[in-house]
Amino acid sequence: MDQNRQGARASYIALTIFVAIWILLPSAVRRFNREAFSEFQAPALHLAGKGRDLAKFWELKSRSNEEMAAAGRDLARINAALELKLKSMDDVRRENVRLRDITRYKDTADYLSVVARVATRDSSSWWQRIVIRKGRNDGIRPGSPVIFGITVVGRVTAVHLTTSEVDLVTSPSFRCTAYLEGDEQNRIVLVNGMAGNSLGSARARISVIPYDYFQPAGQTTQVFTTGMGGVFPSRLLLGTLESGPLSAKEANFKEGQLIPARDLYNLQEVSVLVPLHQTPGEALLQTDQLQ
Amino acid sequence: MKDVPDNRVLPSTPIERLRLHAVFFFFFTGFIYVAFGLGYRQLLQSNDLKDLSDTQSRRVILRPPARGQIIDRNGYVLVDNRTRWSVKADLASLQKEFRAEYSKKYQAEKAREPLHIDREKLLEDAKRDVLQAWLNKVWFVIDETNKTSKTYKAPPRHAGLSTPNERNINIEELRKHLRERRPLPYTLVSDLAFPGTGQALTPNEGTKSVARFIEQFPVDGPIRLDSDIIRTYPHGTLAAHVLGYVKDTDELPPNVDEIADFKFENLQKLRYTGKKGATGIEKSYDSSLRGLSGWELWTKTSAGYNQTRLQASESEQGSNVPLSLDYRIQKAAEDALAKIKDSQGALLPGAAVMIDVNTGEILALASQPSFDPNRLADRVSTAYYQEVEKTGGWLNRSIQGLYPPGSTFKVITAIAGMRNKVVDWDDILQCGPSYRMGGRDFPEHIPEGYGDVNLEVMLAVSCNVWNYQVGERLGIDRLAREARRFGLDVPLLSKSGDSEDGEMGGRSTELPSPASRGLVVPDSAYKLRINQGPWNPGDTANTAIGQGYLLTSPLHMACVAASIARGETRTTPTIIHDPRRDGRHQGAEPIGLNDAQMAAMREGMLRCVEEGTAKSVRIPKLPYAAKTGTAEYFKKGEKAHLAWMIGYAPADNPAVAFCVLVEGQFDTSTWGGKTAGPVAKEMLQAWADTARDPAEQAVEPAAR
Repeated sequence: MDQNRQGARASYIALTIFVAIWILLPSAVRRFNREAFSEFQAPALHLAGKGRDLAKFWELKSRSNEEMAAAGRDLARINAALELKLKSMDDVRRENVRLRDITRYKDTADYLSVVARVATRDSSSWWQRIVIRKGRNDGIRPGSPVIFGITVVGRVTAVHLTTSEVDLVTSPSFRCTAYLEGDEQNRIVLVNGMAGNSLGSARARISVIPYDYFQPAGQTTQVFTTGMGGVFPSRLLLGTLESGPLSAKEANFKEGQLIPARDLYNLQEVSVLVPLHQTPGEALLQTDQLQ
Repeated sequence: MKDVPDNRVLPSTPIERLRLHAVFFFFFTGFIYVAFGLGYRQLLQSNDLKDLSDTQSRRVILRPPARGQIIDRNGYVLVDNRTRWSVKADLASLQKEFRAEYSKKYQAEKAREPLHIDREKLLEDAKRDVLQAWLNKVWFVIDETNKTSKTYKAPPRHAGLSTPNERNINIEELRKHLRERRPLPYTLVSDLAFPGTGQALTPNEGTKSVARFIEQFPVDGPIRLDSDIIRTYPHGTLAAHVLGYVKDTDELPPNVDEIADFKFENLQKLRYTGKKGATGIEKSYDSSLRGLSGWELWTKTSAGYNQTRLQASESEQGSNVPLSLDYRIQKAAEDALAKIKDSQGALLPGAAVMIDVNTGEILALASQPSFDPNRLADRVSTAYYQEVEKTGGWLNRSIQGLYPPGSTFKVITAIAGMRNKVVDWDDILQCGPSYRMGGRDFPEHIPEGYGDVNLEVMLAVSCNVWNYQVGERLGIDRLAREARRFGLDVPLLSKSGDSEDGEMGGRSTELPSPASRGLVVPDSAYKLRINQGPWNPGDTANTAIGQGYLLTSPLHMACVAASIARGETRTTPTIIHDPRRDGRHQGAEPIGLNDAQMAAMREGMLRCVEEGTAKSVRIPKLPYAAKTGTAEYFKKGEKAHLAWMIGYAPADNPAVAFCVLVEGQFDTSTWGGKTAGPVAKEMLQAWADTARDPAEQAVEPAAR
């Protein structure tokens, strides 16, 4: 009995000492530990992601021949339509090349695109953060925009060796400037993620909408990036402005909600646009020289 | 076995029982007292106590509203609001950093001089240093992102702390903020789109600067991006004297009583600095433009910072004020004035007015030199104030300038002569090279004189001798009476409704401080009143040609032209547009000339343009009537020339009347038709374009 008590006491003491040591540890050591934990966790995340890919593969494999044939027919139709569209774009492409030649326009690429599979979603903030299977080893840098097609998914917030964390458009720590379709004066508005409710659908807030902006009746208003902030390229789709009256906010502006363009829950693959040159924001994150 | 008393039982003697009861009673009474006290406070005093608690733990923050727009008669926006993005530090979130910095400083100070540690100063320094570190980060982002802009010049990064720029935390401002507005965020950069005084970023570059900060500065943390509304004048100096500008005010908003009545009567009230009109329409229609404040109800921490927002009410934008100005005519007038320069290429001061003959609505009211209200929208810098002061740009010459009207006054001398039957429209007067009055020779413009001159010729060539003779026959009192009939001594621009703004000497006016007491229509008593001796015939000669003591404003002379065009004596000008306005004018009566006399007057003014002193500014296909004038006046103690031109158009069916004045030099280069005429011509052409195709206004964005 006494031995049990002594054992229990010893474990409490050990826990207290551990907590005290953790608190007193220099922040660099703690940061290292956290980083080490992320790296330790990374293989598991990779495995989980690959397992999910495999499951998807077998799920598709198990489909009947009729289903596959029907899907093939649908794809063929879509393919034919797209090929037709591509043909019609040829003239535009040729004209574009001609004009570039005349003006000696050099299209300097500002971003390097890195395709990455989604490993998992951060369970602590279900709608707000995903982990992708590309990291520092693949050239990903914090702050890089993450897209799917021409739609914005989010922004890289933390980079580990082989994984990276991406804050989605709906995350409260996501912020960017945008244009509202139809606002001829192209006045910038602010898109900010909202702390979501776990059962509701993901949303972001669109604020600083000029008081004289009115949504065209019966139309969906698309929201695009401005490209002015130096992080997101211009004219990427962020989503649509929720229809209905905009609420007046901060006396002089209106506010509305953004419905993200992609179903963030079903993302399988994304592209990370890594800027070729370091942005001031990155420099700010990396250095403490300003202090 | 001997019984042993049991000490564990209660004493049972009467004395002991009495003590016990006393103790019970004492505790019971105490309990009842506490129970009643609790009940009293819970049931009867609860409301009062709750109010008291609320008062101590809550506060109301008042937010100023957006001001209304000022638009022209076609809905074109002349004054608007723009979003101002500012960077602010949330002091409540920085508490931890303040403490850490203080602790660091305290340890250093303790090691250096343990006996004399000024804790207050250390804490203040710690706050300043923490904020300075954040401010450096903000500037790092701004500078890095604006490096590509050709117009952007970053000020020295670590200028001395005494340098009053937005790169350094000003300790005095910080102290004031902590003392008076601690719960409100502290402003690090007040206008992100235009960082630093004098930074010439284009609007596009400014917006880019804001966008870069939004996307590149960390979202989390104590540095917040705030946005509010600031006044903007999209056309810069255009109509600046009419529009005015705004200045900071700590006055409580007009609806503060309603907010207080609602439920927060005793709560602490904090307010963001609001704006109120300083001059122009911004001042005289401030009560319409300013709108109603919004408010937020917050709980506060024991340290006085905001904690949780409980309720909020939105502010209400002020009403729009529609001006009678026409943007295109106003612009034409100002552009034309800007072309008039002296021999050294310096701008000559001047004014131009155009009014609607029938309604009296002012279509253009220009004054040169001017100022840029955008540079005064946030705060007035001493350097800019002095720059404008040096050029004389604060004076609205069109309504505040007082000048002798020169030969434009001859129309009144002629009317007075005909009404008093001392001359008629077809009388021919002999006009030699000069005329002797009061023992002095008064000269003609041209050495040889004009010979036989009737009314029409007089108006066309602006003959002086004709007016000397008529003035002599009339006498000064009859001449002065006629000038007063035309309202030359009556202040203009009175407000029609009740208003507390734009008030001048107890009179409420549409624009602040229009000419009033300085207006002079001299008569025989006037000279005695100002101790200049008795009136003499020479004074009458001078007055008959619009010289001498006579002083009036360009707006008054434009009204004279409009009145003659309508055949009445008075025109009530107004700067406010009202589509339902009728053609009635306060105090107006028929001029009192017969048809032949009126026809001769109109024909004379038409001939002035067709073949007379204004023939250089004829407009093909737009016959108009005018009278030019060149007056002498003293400018800073030196004699100088004034160029005048008044008139109306079209000559056969008057719709608009105008007056142009240019303050020239005392040389032969400044003459009514030659100097003021081109401005009148530009205005009339702009009016003709507008009248021909009013729909063209729609090419520019209209008011929302």
